[in-house]
Amino acid sequence: MLTRFSDFDPTFSLFDELRRRMERVWEDFDEGSTPSLQAATVWPKVNLYDGGASFVLTADVPGLAEKDLQVTLHDGALTIAGERATKAPEGYAVHRQERGSVKFTRSLALPCKVDAENTTASVKDGVLMLTLRKAPEAQPRAIAIRAS
Amino acid sequence: MSTMEIRKRGEPVLEQTRTAAMAAMAPPVDVYENTQELLLVADLPGVAKDGVRIELEKGLLTIEGRRPTPTVGEQVAGEYRIADFQRVFSVPPGIEATKIDAELSGGVLRVHLPKSEGVKPRRIEVRAS
Repeated sequence: MLTRFSDFDPTFSLFDELRRRMERVWEDFDEGSTPSLQAATVWPKVNLYDGGASFVLTADVPGLAEKDLQVTLHDGALTIAGERATKAPEGYAVHRQERGSVKFTRSLALPCKVDAENTTASVKDGVLMLTLRKAPEAQPRAIAIRAS
Repeated sequence: MSTMEIRKRGEPVLEQTRTAAMAAMAPPVDVYENTQELLLVADLPGVAKDGVRIELEKGLLTIEGRRPTPTVGEQVAGEYRIADFQRVFSVPPGIEATKIDAELSGGVLRVHLPKSEGVKPRRIEVRAS
């Protein structure tokens, strides 16, 4: 069992672990029934792809444009921040509101060093796509085998 | 007008739908209403305009969004599944089926369902006699 390294007392850390696991059980149980709550826990959800020379990170940000998002890269940590407000349009009554309003900041540890200068970001159809070029030392390299 | 009855997320989609749709995800949806129309707003990230299909049949409104799988390399970490979207709503009577209109912008779909004249509120003027 993994415990966080910052825990100074193993007894309490076990309690914490138990509590976290119980919370996870409820999250699984809740899945599908409370999308807005779920959305509030981790937003936006991201996927990471390895394209050889670069990593591609995608995040679902429906309703957000480039100007609504801040992406920063610092010391191997990538931070995505922004805000999405889903208000009822003027003069409309609300029957159901599952699309949550969120203000978010997510920091993600990247698997290797990336070249910040050659990082590109775009938003298309509500999906943020970041192309993170791997640093030269992290690029895959083919090793030639010499015949002896 | 009563509120729209909406299939809960996670509830299985109707039997007549394609088997491929069984793996579809139900998008989060907002439903609003004013005196003129019902407005449905759905998050469909990754879906382009030509990937959306909206159909009204026998009082059931089906919204489908086709989401292509990105071809950018091997997936190394994932928090969400790339799947098509589908959700079915039962529409209350009094909606002008021929005037339903939809727009897609930035992965958000808006469907306008105008009310027919009969169900719109009307003010009755009182005449002096």
